[in-house]
Amino acid sequence: MSLHKNQQLSQDLTLTRRHLFQRIGSGVGGIALASLFRESGLGLSASLADSSALGQPGLDIAQRHFAPRAKNVIYIHMVGAPSHLDLFDYKPELQKRNGQLCPDEFFKGKQLAFIRQQPSLLGTPSKKEFAFTRCGQSGIRISNLLPHLQQVADEITFNRATFTDQFNHAPAQMMMLSGFQRFGRPSIGSWTSYGLGSENKNLPSFVVLVTGQVLGAGNSAWGSGFLPTVHQGVEFRSKGDPVLFLSNPNGIEAEARKRTVDAINELNQRQLLNLQDPEIATRIDQYELAYRMQSSVPELMEIESESKQTHAMYGTTPGKSSFANNCLLARRLVERGVRFVQLFDQGWDMHNSVANRLPTKCKQVDRPIAALINDLKQRGMLDDTLVIWSSEFGRTPMGQGDVKAANVGRDHHKEAFTTWMAGGGVKKGFVYGKSDELGYGVAEDPMHVHDFNATIMHLLGIDHEQLTFKYQGRPYRLTDIGGVVAEKIIA
Amino acid sequence: MLYLAKLFSIAGLVCIALQTGTCGDEIDFDKQIKPIIDSRCAECHGLTSREGGLRFTSRDDAMVELDSGEIAIVSGDPQSGSLVSRISSREPAEMMPPEGERLTREEIALIVKWIEEGAKWPERSVSKHWSYVAPVRPVLPAMVSSERLRNEIDYFVAKRLAVQGLGLSNDASNAQALRRVSLALTGLPPEVEVVKEYLKNPSEKRFEQFVDSCLDSPAYGERWATPWLDAARYADSNGYQADQIRESWAYRDWVIRSINQDQPFDQFTLEQLAGDLLPNATEAQRIATGFHRTVTCNVEAGVHPEENRVNQVFDRVNTTGTVFLGTTLECCQCHNHKYDPFSQEEYFKLFSFFNNTPVEVKLTSGVSYDFYGPKMDLSVDEKIRLKRDSLTSELNALKQKKERVGIAARERLEELKSDLATEVKNKINWTPLKILNFSTNSGESHRILNDQSVLVGGSLPGTSRYTVEVANELPLVTAVRIEALTHEELPGTGPGRGDVERPNFILSELVVSAGPSETSGKDGFEVVALDNAFADFSQKNWEVAKAIDGDQKTGWAIAQQFFKNHWAAFGFKTPLKLSGAQGRIRFLLDQNYGRGRTIGRFRLLATSDDITTLGISDEIKNILMLPELNKAQRKKLDEFLNTSQPELLKLQTEIATVQKKLAALKPPTTLVMQEMDKPRETFKLNRGDYLNPGKKVGSGVPAVLHSWNSELPNNRLGLAKWMVDIRNPLLARVAVNRWWTSFFGRGLMASGEDFGTQSDPASHPKLLDWLAVELMESGWSRKHIHKLIVMSSTFRQTSQSNPKLNSRDPQNRLLSRGPRFRMPAEMIRDNALAISGLLSTKMGGPPVMPFQPDNIWRTVGRNGPKWNAAKDEDRFRRGVYVIWRRAAPYPSFVNFDAPDRAACVIERPRSNTPLQALTLLNDQAFVEMAVALAFTVVSHSSEAGELRAQLAYAMQRCVARIPESEEIDVLEKLYEAELNRFSGDRVAVDALLDNNRVVAGGGMAELTPVERGHLAALSVVCNVLLNLDETINY
Repeated sequence: MSLHKNQQLSQDLTLTRRHLFQRIGSGVGGIALASLFRESGLGLSASLADSSALGQPGLDIAQRHFAPRAKNVIYIHMVGAPSHLDLFDYKPELQKRNGQLCPDEFFKGKQLAFIRQQPSLLGTPSKKEFAFTRCGQSGIRISNLLPHLQQVADEITFNRATFTDQFNHAPAQMMMLSGFQRFGRPSIGSWTSYGLGSENKNLPSFVVLVTGQVLGAGNSAWGSGFLPTVHQGVEFRSKGDPVLFLSNPNGIEAEARKRTVDAINELNQRQLLNLQDPEIATRIDQYELAYRMQSSVPELMEIESESKQTHAMYGTTPGKSSFANNCLLARRLVERGVRFVQLFDQGWDMHNSVANRLPTKCKQVDRPIAALINDLKQRGMLDDTLVIWSSEFGRTPMGQGDVKAANVGRDHHKEAFTTWMAGGGVKKGFVYGKSDELGYGVAEDPMHVHDFNATIMHLLGIDHEQLTFKYQGRPYRLTDIGGVVAEKIIA
Repeated sequence: MLYLAKLFSIAGLVCIALQTGTCGDEIDFDKQIKPIIDSRCAECHGLTSREGGLRFTSRDDAMVELDSGEIAIVSGDPQSGSLVSRISSREPAEMMPPEGERLTREEIALIVKWIEEGAKWPERSVSKHWSYVAPVRPVLPAMVSSERLRNEIDYFVAKRLAVQGLGLSNDASNAQALRRVSLALTGLPPEVEVVKEYLKNPSEKRFEQFVDSCLDSPAYGERWATPWLDAARYADSNGYQADQIRESWAYRDWVIRSINQDQPFDQFTLEQLAGDLLPNATEAQRIATGFHRTVTCNVEAGVHPEENRVNQVFDRVNTTGTVFLGTTLECCQCHNHKYDPFSQEEYFKLFSFFNNTPVEVKLTSGVSYDFYGPKMDLSVDEKIRLKRDSLTSELNALKQKKERVGIAARERLEELKSDLATEVKNKINWTPLKILNFSTNSGESHRILNDQSVLVGGSLPGTSRYTVEVANELPLVTAVRIEALTHEELPGTGPGRGDVERPNFILSELVVSAGPSETSGKDGFEVVALDNAFADFSQKNWEVAKAIDGDQKTGWAIAQQFFKNHWAAFGFKTPLKLSGAQGRIRFLLDQNYGRGRTIGRFRLLATSDDITTLGISDEIKNILMLPELNKAQRKKLDEFLNTSQPELLKLQTEIATVQKKLAALKPPTTLVMQEMDKPRETFKLNRGDYLNPGKKVGSGVPAVLHSWNSELPNNRLGLAKWMVDIRNPLLARVAVNRWWTSFFGRGLMASGEDFGTQSDPASHPKLLDWLAVELMESGWSRKHIHKLIVMSSTFRQTSQSNPKLNSRDPQNRLLSRGPRFRMPAEMIRDNALAISGLLSTKMGGPPVMPFQPDNIWRTVGRNGPKWNAAKDEDRFRRGVYVIWRRAAPYPSFVNFDAPDRAACVIERPRSNTPLQALTLLNDQAFVEMAVALAFTVVSHSSEAGELRAQLAYAMQRCVARIPESEEIDVLEKLYEAELNRFSGDRVAVDALLDNNRVVAGGGMAELTPVERGHLAALSVVCNVLLNLDETINY
């Protein structure tokens, strides 16, 4: 950039920079140094840190609240809520009492999404396919529906007493992903981007990959709320342009695009010299970056270059849109320094035929998730990459519909469900929290959504109470007014 | 026991007080109590913090009900309030302060005595936060008058600058001034010709005329509606799961119209809050109340209607606070405001004004909820009324015809009855047909299973036709049967292939033909006529007979009954007799719905038995046997006849079509507020939880603001009138600040959504107050204030900066130069459409769908709408008319910081990202505009032929000023390179132009190859021009 050759202008920018640091000294939120540059509305990031809105400078480790255990996050969110009772939380007592009317306190005075009459208990089918096997050194029980995940059980911490406040999809998704049941709050990926910035100058700091339809919370699930919009998740799509508007229009190829970007920047440069508005300097950088993204993003999405073994391990097919492909892409993104990768997979809302449908869904995700954990481990990336499995809530230990019928399902359940984490500083082969013997409520070590999120932030080296943003006269944070870090799961 | 102990200790403290000689004189609050509070309590219970709802900032504050329900101080009775027991306690969970040293016994004794004496707290002029005191018009700063001080605004700004040793910058150039004013007021650039004309003879008077023409333009309302609609969280969908479309665009049009008519801002406010309650409310006044019906609404199956309603009322209270009072009330849902002087009880007093509208979700069937609540029909014009009349008579004719056909069908019922009597004999034997050959026209793979079922796999095409040939050995075939079967390899087990969640299939059309045996070597299949159809289950509107009605658009489907086997049987009009020992039957299964809704596994069977009674449910059989039918039974029977007889079904479809047309002509509706006859009682909700009501509250307004006039009605209208009272310290300030923000890119108050105690101070507090008073005294005229702003020197300064300004006023808070910032999303679109010559000026009406990439709208749930990009002028309408779906707003707007409109937004952030660059470079919408601009330029007669003139004209359309020669050089260089490329690459020319033909009407067809090359190269240049920082800034 010839911008930096202009001595006079550089000096001016330095002055503005000092002004900014004064602001930081007065402590807004205290931490988000990277963000203050952008928040200032001066768009100085480009000139100051030789970076851009996308390639934000990260915080020095010393600037974080704690020593970070994880650098990056791969967050898998199972939309619709899988039946944790049939996958992770073995309940022999529930199987024993299968078909009995549920205790009154499970139904009376409770709100359930679909169940309208006192339901009966529904145990996991007593078939080998559904059996729970003790796995690895840790001996943690995982359903045979997830044979590959069973192989990596010793890498995982299961939170079996996770609970939330909402039992409807959209509000519960927002609760899980933004800490509030309502629209308009920043998502966890945005908070992370805001707090830590990105290490890649050519890619966004927060990338979203979706299989199936978009969840009920819509774009809000990865929105930036009142945070600067540079922190919103950018969806990399498997159909059409991987990033919206990435490819050149018909009749304009890369060479022509280069010429047009050069012409735009040359004219913008003249404006910059004339008006001395630093925002123009940022825009010039953004055009350069956009041009680079036109090759860096397709390169990233191009998984053909991966080895045969890798494809076999993940079960990926280049060119297809699948959850497996997204898992592999997640690894490629993290490899390139993308801070927060979030995978959404639709199709877990099994109000009916849970026994028929769960195996199909498990087949889609089991191999790739285990492959992702193994792959990260082999590459030495698992130690600083936190892999997360969550859903907006769990499913009822009571059947929805006739428990004797093949098409019986399970309803939404917020009182207790299972999430898990692997890598990134959590214990290996560990179970945290316990649900009661029928899997209805929490028995030990409850983990509210806010605790879950506080723990994730902690692992990234962030004090969830300190990472705040003032909006409408009030400092907001991811965990609202709650959140206790689950120290016990930290290795 | 503990409590008693405390009592004793308090009694003891009084004795101490006596002993220490503090008993005699009355306690002096300032000398004896205040220092204790300040040092021991204020950190958590003071001006900046209000833990537990308590703060010691005034006598009233110290005596309100706390979040816990306790009261800290009860005058004269130290034992009733919780204060004394808390400061005396040594229980860790109880004691105050919670950490640090305990209060001494003497200190406690003083407090006890002070409370006994009535907790006297001298009224002093505790200065209220400035924004809660009504503004008074400030005197103008003393300045030596000069030409630079065009109006009052300039006095305040110049004075502030002078303090910093700065002054107002020079005026921007005339062309730039016109462009800035035009964009600021109308959201559109000035026409090149208008600028040209003005430059010939510029003057202050002509500038004012130009300003007036902008204020009078209908585009003014369209531009200024956008920020208001952000605040009003207006959108065209419900939000949440499924996010269905709703109809309330009449409200959006009302906003545009009101702004264009310069409806006084107080009336504008009043009508939106309570237009429905005005005496003899007009249609427009009722439409205005759509303001509070824009709230999101959850219709998920598990929704609790009351919870949804309470959340909506919360939103109404909070939005009212933010939009009209610049006040964040949300905190008080759960507890007294931590910082600002609002209590939880006051919150619910406001809540009660909004608590009297009906529930807005309704259980419509089973577990399905629908969006509900008060709507009104909009009035329609005469032409539409006539059209409706003619359709109605057509409908009646069809109905009569159906009646006649129905009579004939009913005659057959007699036969049915006798068939039924012998039904026992009619046990139907179905023989599976052996598959000879299966083929598909869409490339799927298949396997034939042992039971002669076909399992389809492999690729999943959108639509498919299966052709199946089977062997038949039945001497007589009266009917065939298709079984759609589940299989574990199918998504969700099927029987359809397209979707794990909803494995539906749609059999659009079945054609059966019969032919000679395979060995005969002859071909010659003949179509067999099918005359009735039965199925174990049909989806509503997808009845099985639609698979044999000859219409590819209709068909048989099985939705909601997924994951199980289904069958459909089809009777032959004439039984098929086998001529030899074996014959063949060919089945064509057309599945044209799209999205892979095809059958995953099926089996074919045939029978020689009579199937007439097959599809008759027990319910219908019982009805048939009855001597007389009631209304409901007759309806059931009709339904049965309609769905099994193709002819009746066809009529039914025609009727449905006409009904659809009629529905399309139904007057549009809009959402309005409507009070229930019997108001609800309002309770303080503990912790904001609707299941946890506390004490009952009446209606009322916050005490810190202006008082309630007792003559006002005790309802929403009263609240609205209170709101627009000129004693309201906030309404005018908040409004002028919001406008200022739109003009200058930042407000006089930087936090436009919050004027509370935590807000940053205003940059020009006196100017803010001056403008607020001016607004009220001008009869609340928005246009008056806008005109003052754009006529000021402050607004007309050049936006050129320099090192001195960058260091002394880096963010231009002091307004040392003209505003310069990136346009909001909609303006970027509108500006580019106008520049390119494509802009449609059509106003109002239902929202439009311009171009957007595929796969943006994909959410789960019922009735998800589809995006159909407009091909007509709607493609080029202004951004304010683009449909706003909350789960997935228009993507190029999102990239330019548009909110999702799920909640009130006062100020959009303004980012600068590579995604914006990609949008302007590559979004088909902007590419179309580039080509259109090129076309406009070559069609512009005066510049025809001369390249540099054409380039200059194109650039002038973008930035209004006359471009410099060096700038044209850059464009020319690019043009030459592109022309060179295109002349060697006709395919690229065609690719660029033909993909964007839509923009040039028929005009492009007449161009020669050379002209096409020129146009293509020019289009690339125009793509550059539409991307310039200057083009998207003002």
